[in-house]
Amino acid sequence: MKYSFSGSRRHFLQANSYGLGSLALASLLQKNGLLAAPVKPDLGPETEYDLLPKQGHAPGQAKAMISLFMMGGPSQMDLFDPKPMLTKYDGKNFPGEIKYDNLAQASSKVFGSPWKFTKHGQCGMELSELLPHLGAVADDICLIRSMVSGVSNHAQGLYAVNSGRVTAGNPALGSWLTYGLGCETEDLPAYMVLSHPGGLPTFQGEHFTNGWLPALYQGTVVRATEPRILNLDPPPTLAGDGQRRQLDLLRSLNEEHSSDHPGELDLRARIASYELAAKMQTAAKEALDISDEPESVKKLYGVDDPKTRDYATRCIIARRLVERGVRYVQVLNAGQSWDQHSALITALPTNCGAVDQPSAALVTDLKQRGLLDSTVVHWGGEMGRLPVLQNDAGREKWGRDHNTFGFSQWVAGGGFKGGYVHGETDEFGHKAVVDPVHHYDWHATLLHAFGLDHQKLTYKRNGLAASLTGDQGAKVVEQLLA
Amino acid sequence: MRLITAILFLSLAREAHGESPSLTFEKDVRPLLKAHCTLCHGDEEKPKAGVDLRLRRFMDAPLESGATLLVPGKPELSELVGIIARGEMPKKGHAVPAHELEIIRQWVAQGAKTARPEPESIGNGPHITEEERSHWSFQPVKRPAVPQVAGAPEPIDAFLAVAMQREGLDFAPEADRPTWIRRVALDLTGLPPTPEEVAAFVADASPTAFEKVVDRLLASPAYGERWARHWLDVAGYADSNGYTEVDSARPHAWRYRDYVIRAFNADKPWDEFIREQLAGDELAGATHADYQAAVIDPKKLEQLTATAFLRMAPDGTGDPNDDAKLARNQVIAEQLKIVSSSLLGLTVSCAQCHDHRHDPISQEDYYRLRAVFDPAYNWEAWRAPGQRLYSLYTPAEHAKAAEIEKAAAVIDAGAREMSKKFLDEIFEVEILKLPEAEREPYRTARAIVEKDRTPEQKTLIKKYPSALALYSLDLYDPKKQEQVNAKSAEATKLRATKPVQNFVMALTEVKGQVPESKLFNRGDQEQPVRTVTPGELTILSTPDIAPFQPAALPSGSSGRRLAYANWLTSGKHPLVARVLVNRFWMHHFGRGLVNTPGDFGLSGERPSHPGLLDWLADEFVKGGWKLKPLHRSIVLSRAYRQSTANPSSLQADPENRLLSRYKVRRLEAEPLRDSILAAAGALVDKPFGPPSTIARDPAGRIVLGVDKGTITKAEAAPGGEQDFRRSVYVEVRRSKPVTVLDTFDAPVMTPHCELRPQTTVAPQSLLLMNDTFILDNARRLADRVHREFPDDETARLGRTWQLLYGQAPGESDIARAISYLRLQTATLTVHHAQNPPAAPAKGAAPLPAPDPAREALASLCQVLLSSNRFLYLE
Repeated sequence: MKYSFSGSRRHFLQANSYGLGSLALASLLQKNGLLAAPVKPDLGPETEYDLLPKQGHAPGQAKAMISLFMMGGPSQMDLFDPKPMLTKYDGKNFPGEIKYDNLAQASSKVFGSPWKFTKHGQCGMELSELLPHLGAVADDICLIRSMVSGVSNHAQGLYAVNSGRVTAGNPALGSWLTYGLGCETEDLPAYMVLSHPGGLPTFQGEHFTNGWLPALYQGTVVRATEPRILNLDPPPTLAGDGQRRQLDLLRSLNEEHSSDHPGELDLRARIASYELAAKMQTAAKEALDISDEPESVKKLYGVDDPKTRDYATRCIIARRLVERGVRYVQVLNAGQSWDQHSALITALPTNCGAVDQPSAALVTDLKQRGLLDSTVVHWGGEMGRLPVLQNDAGREKWGRDHNTFGFSQWVAGGGFKGGYVHGETDEFGHKAVVDPVHHYDWHATLLHAFGLDHQKLTYKRNGLAASLTGDQGAKVVEQLLA
Repeated sequence: MRLITAILFLSLAREAHGESPSLTFEKDVRPLLKAHCTLCHGDEEKPKAGVDLRLRRFMDAPLESGATLLVPGKPELSELVGIIARGEMPKKGHAVPAHELEIIRQWVAQGAKTARPEPESIGNGPHITEEERSHWSFQPVKRPAVPQVAGAPEPIDAFLAVAMQREGLDFAPEADRPTWIRRVALDLTGLPPTPEEVAAFVADASPTAFEKVVDRLLASPAYGERWARHWLDVAGYADSNGYTEVDSARPHAWRYRDYVIRAFNADKPWDEFIREQLAGDELAGATHADYQAAVIDPKKLEQLTATAFLRMAPDGTGDPNDDAKLARNQVIAEQLKIVSSSLLGLTVSCAQCHDHRHDPISQEDYYRLRAVFDPAYNWEAWRAPGQRLYSLYTPAEHAKAAEIEKAAAVIDAGAREMSKKFLDEIFEVEILKLPEAEREPYRTARAIVEKDRTPEQKTLIKKYPSALALYSLDLYDPKKQEQVNAKSAEATKLRATKPVQNFVMALTEVKGQVPESKLFNRGDQEQPVRTVTPGELTILSTPDIAPFQPAALPSGSSGRRLAYANWLTSGKHPLVARVLVNRFWMHHFGRGLVNTPGDFGLSGERPSHPGLLDWLADEFVKGGWKLKPLHRSIVLSRAYRQSTANPSSLQADPENRLLSRYKVRRLEAEPLRDSILAAAGALVDKPFGPPSTIARDPAGRIVLGVDKGTITKAEAAPGGEQDFRRSVYVEVRRSKPVTVLDTFDAPVMTPHCELRPQTTVAPQSLLLMNDTFILDNARRLADRVHREFPDDETARLGRTWQLLYGQAPGESDIARAISYLRLQTATLTVHHAQNPPAAPAKGAAPLPAPDPAREALASLCQVLLSSNRFLYLE
């Protein structure tokens, strides 16, 4: 048997040099397309993995993705999916049968949306008054109103939309994309996670786990507050040549050690992580620092407003990371802050107020920079909410329970069709009835946008070819793509 | 179609064991219906559309629509098949996959048989089938015969060898001695062996060389400091309350941590260990108001301390929070999660809001289990964390303190009297400034307490505010105020002579207070539904075992937890011993025999070696629930002594389920930090007591030290010795995870940790490259080896290798290191020449001259400390 680890060496342009000179050269070569041609992914059994840029199974328009994930289940009928019937029946009994999640607090009273919807853009997309900024980019977004996962718990819902299956421990979307396509930069992690100052969302590490894919493909969490990455400064006496010599010695020790332990992928991943860390010392600091952004850009996102400052800053950072070649960026909320079982009327405007302007600005900004064509921006959570009210204890306490049979998300760029609304829920916004898009269909379509075939992107595990979509009967939803 | 047939065949073959391949309701169909249908069609009190799919015979009932649900032998006429095939059902959840529908279809075609006659009636909630009842982990532990295998005389190896042989695998060759001793030392004590220990072991030709090492390690106090950490993970140990952003401190939690460490070191039998943690208060005869006798008796105090296990869940009820009732209910829910996953290995918490979706655990079961703990928590007569602390004063100390307080109160009264006298004197002078006619009314008004004054009196006082002289003596006469202050200071001084008062954090019941336990609709405490009585999960109480019968105790405690703890540790409980030995195994080998250590239910993994698991569980219980003998047989086994190299294992079994090699894994956060300190010679062996404090430093890291920060500026001052204690003694603040530990996957307790992730990310590398923790300790290590071998570079390097890896360097290692040191020294010399140190401040001692050679050695030490060979257990 033979184990080859040559890949990790070829990964790094000049094995013995971390000097700025060679880095600059590498990035120059990369920009000019002179670096070794991207290699086809060999998805057979192997023991060698890297983050070199790879081509998909077919040409894909999307090169990078920013996922604005809204854990908790944003209420689609108050944000994206206008339902006049709800207003008509407001406070009256729901005339059909509801699939409650929480039978206990269930009420059959319809809860008409307290917010007005108006048409936006040339496409005339109807959006809620809670999302005024999104309205301004309506012609650039593809709104899916017929998402279905069918699993009512937050945990299973998250696993479904984030890692393809309803069970825990499977690789997240970002791991699959970096496994399939590698990374366009050697200076930053391929997969980065921007956490909220209030902490990680519920189910924490499940949001960015590599599951059973090699450790190389796990998300790197960036701290929510400055310093966003610790320990980026080398000790002054060793900065430059001194540290370079340390890392050279370290690599030769680790390579020897690794060759004594063939097939231990974690040892390989750690060798790679030192190489990356060395480069991040300059690259990450620069990428995460938004102080050189023009005032106009900061204003566009809302950095100047305390209400939007945090999210705006993280959206700008996400854009900067993608500009620098990071493949997949997750911008996370804390806890499950969109889970409005009660007090929806006060809580939802607060949530929207923090993210609407920055999210829309991200689309505008990427477009102005010519990056929207190659960057997928995704906005959505793990479920939606019911047309009837929950917690019938006075209107100000009304909430909505989980609904996974019809919910909304939007996606922009990367080859997705702008100014387009896909699918419909029934007249009360409960169940997807026209063109339902299951989470696995969404995944298949997304991979397709990246040029990846969801049936071919597999990893050999326990003798089987495991994939993101599995045997769930996923299909690419062509209508979503331009 | 061929694929579907293949899957069907597999699913049959899996269960068949040579029986006839005919499908039965219980084994083949009901699990499918349970996953897709019975939430609406069976589990609710009124099944939807009158269709109840819990029993086969219920399917004979006519349908409201007039269609027929089931026509045995005729799937095409059976609506059960038709409605699923047409995609009309299930309305909720995933579509039934084609291969599953095919099973249902085949079952109907075969005549819709049951395995046995169905019960006459089934009670509220879900019915438990024989198939669920026969799930492996619900069966009593049965000690299997040890297989006879050549070359594996010890039971553990024999069980493993049988499974390996089935796959054509064998053990890897034995690891060399330095490798094994490093492995076992880090595993059992969390610290690397000293070079002397390695040398002695390598030179020990006696047949008991391995045993001697193991016995020494198990007897070392460091053993408890390491292994306690594993239990503290599942218990969710923290020195702060969590839940709210305040994350207030739990200043007395450390006594529980010390209790756990001592229990491990003393090899306290686990039946006792569990009983004390679940019901130590009841064992000690203590209740909320009546605990004095318990705190003065060392044994009882230990038992009381142990109950802090039940106080580990996040508890925000002492801090401001939005919904006080919810906060209380959350404490109980989270604590139940800790108890059930740590001891039962079941995700019982899933049944808080509705019947468990996969396991036969009803919501009723959840609240019956909760009722065991209700008297101690009693959410309607809640006691916040501050009310659950018990003074450790002896009666004599109580008396002494009371006496001192009495005397101090007299002094305080004197001071107040003195102040009043001075103010009255001032008043007599001030009042003379008022017009005479207003003097008497003013005097009268002043003598009345403010709230009782008439509006006229208030107006009068407002007119001459400075005449009032009822307070602010310091403004009228600072000198007199000082006299009063001096008097008050006497009281303060006296109070300081009280005996120091310490507290134990514990769980108790209030005498005679047994709240009615209710089932809460959807887990919402605002919606109680019906009364429940304490009891074991239905699935674990088979008809012939009456698991436990709570009986009120003489102390006035309900006795529920004690009865439950006695049942759990009776040796008859099917889960407890299995769950425990599985965790022990997992910590030794990096994966459990059941690799979902917190889920032994239907959706958990099946054991890779069921016989071995049961043998270990039985051995553990028969051996008096003692862990050290178990450690001994595991680490002395052939499985544990084998090397990491086994190409055929790597090829056939990359995840190493069969254990035909020892799989390398990174050191967990605490042994990593502790090993670095130990190698540097900096580790301070100071066991027990309040935790080492932590603080945020200006770089944003959480480090050990003294918090000197302000609102605007973070600052951490060195804390001296405390900064170098073992990690288990470092403060666990849920909102402030210590950077060096957090970066290497130490868990944040929300509420606890069943299984640590092992990540490999660039921030870890950055820490090892640039963090002051690693830089400082690399320098200490360099100083240490230089001090030990001032004149012999080769010996110095040899020593460094020995300290870090437990093995001598090869010649090429030495040559490479020497060459590195030369070049690095030259680089550093240039650096210092170009960056001369700033002149010392006037009067300050001159800074020592830079020493490039020593700095180069430190930078080498840093590289070695960062190398995989050091970071990984192999």
